[in-house]
Amino acid sequence: MEKPVVVYEPFRAGLPPMREYMRSLWSRRTFISEFSRSELREQNYGSVFGQLWLILNPLLLSAVYFLLIYVIGGSSDANRFGHLTASLFLFYLIANSLTGGVKAITSGQRLILNTSFPRVMLPISATVIALFKFIPTLVVFVAIHAIIGLPYSWQMLWAIPILFIALVMALGMAILISCINVYFRDISSMLPYLTRSLLYLSPILYEATNVSDRIKTLEIANPIFFLLDSWSRVVVHAQAPSMNGLIHASVWALFLFITGTYFFLSRERDFAVRL
Amino acid sequence: MISLSDFKHEHSPHSVAVSVKDLGLTYTTSIDKKPTLKARLKTLGRGKKHTRIVRALNDVSIDVHYGTVLGIIGSNGAGKSSLMRVISGIVPPTQGRVEVYGSVSTLLALGVGFNPSMTGRDNVYLGGLAAGMSREEIDANFDAIADFSELGEAIDAPMRTYSSGMYARLAFSVAAVVEPDILIIDEALSTGDAKFKEKSLNRIKELRTADRALILVSHALATIEDICNEVVWLNKGTLMMRGNPTEVIAAYREFVNARKSASSDEDV
Repeated sequence: MEKPVVVYEPFRAGLPPMREYMRSLWSRRTFISEFSRSELREQNYGSVFGQLWLILNPLLLSAVYFLLIYVIGGSSDANRFGHLTASLFLFYLIANSLTGGVKAITSGQRLILNTSFPRVMLPISATVIALFKFIPTLVVFVAIHAIIGLPYSWQMLWAIPILFIALVMALGMAILISCINVYFRDISSMLPYLTRSLLYLSPILYEATNVSDRIKTLEIANPIFFLLDSWSRVVVHAQAPSMNGLIHASVWALFLFITGTYFFLSRERDFAVRL
Repeated sequence: MISLSDFKHEHSPHSVAVSVKDLGLTYTTSIDKKPTLKARLKTLGRGKKHTRIVRALNDVSIDVHYGTVLGIIGSNGAGKSSLMRVISGIVPPTQGRVEVYGSVSTLLALGVGFNPSMTGRDNVYLGGLAAGMSREEIDANFDAIADFSELGEAIDAPMRTYSSGMYARLAFSVAAVVEPDILIIDEALSTGDAKFKEKSLNRIKELRTADRALILVSHALATIEDICNEVVWLNKGTLMMRGNPTEVIAAYREFVNARKSASSDEDV
């Protein structure tokens, strides 16, 4: 008699067979990109003006915040504006990933109840969408960088590994929060407060160097504090990032990604029943 | 969770395609609205759980062999869809074991994965990819899908402009080109007008080959009797009867008539 191709047995919390899961995920990669594209289209980013909005929106946001720090701080310069835009854009990569991820599973109800596929594809798409929205802002920043005459150096290549860490962190957060939202639906209404706090607690409206050492110690608990600080040092000031900052960001990113994925994969067979 | 292109091996007729042993499925549903952190905190320490247990399936055992077309009948809430979801790996069983010997394609609801703001053409790709086809497979089959749906130029219009019949026709057409080892269809035959219904029925008949197993769930008893060579009757999660279509359907009709609700069940 042939060996069964798949066996379904009672649900136990535990990881599914990983090799098979990864193969199945890989074979569906075109679906992830097509699904993200259609979601973006749904949010009206398919048209020329929609795409223009992708650039205008972060620009307007940074203008508003610039006004805010000008009014509160009294003085401002080009560096300050460069720092604000660069940090804000990277922050929105993470925040968009979180807001997209939180409803990834609960709004995919029809898909989940009627087709069998690796569920982790849905939060992955949320991060892919956030990345699609981030790319035009990166182009805007390159233009701003040139216009306000910020310095250049080879150290700026550090931006690549930093972006990679940011993506792993964004993905980990999206996976974790999408899973939590299945069990506690009010997380999605609490999320705006969470992202708002992250925004104010991270070096975006101010620079990390302006923060007292005591506060800086507390900021170890903020996953994105040193990530954003490193990003600003590299792309705005064209300096090398501090190694401690990079290590802090990597450890947080890996921690979020591993715990998020572990929780998600060990619970995902239970999702269909919970929706 | 296996993509269709993964398993393209031959199956000898009459070997087992799906084996369901002592299957039990219970859902725990919360009585009061959605599960939230607030609700969880409120009940903390009171030890009282706001849940209700629903037994959807109870000790069901079925073997489906290659070359069979198995019909599943039963009134609403009999556990038909739950059984299909367990076999296709969407919901894990609570008890028992399900073994599947081949690639499964499910058609539990039409137009899953479709996005109404995109055109019909884009949705063919989206729906096909969601069903586990590769982009190349869809490219190769695109014309066949478009022809089968009879949408003509409307295929390039956004799907939100479609009538519900057009929507269902495109959805069925995408699903109909998939050629898996095991095909599970839940209530999807009743789409479109009489002409399209006949066409989709013919397509199902074409899919009846010796190396494929088909599982059909339907309330259309005449159709089931016509297509299937074996019928299973479920009632309230238990297997009532299984065997020759004519006999099982006759027994089911008698049972339904006894409950004086015949009119509501013969509904396509």
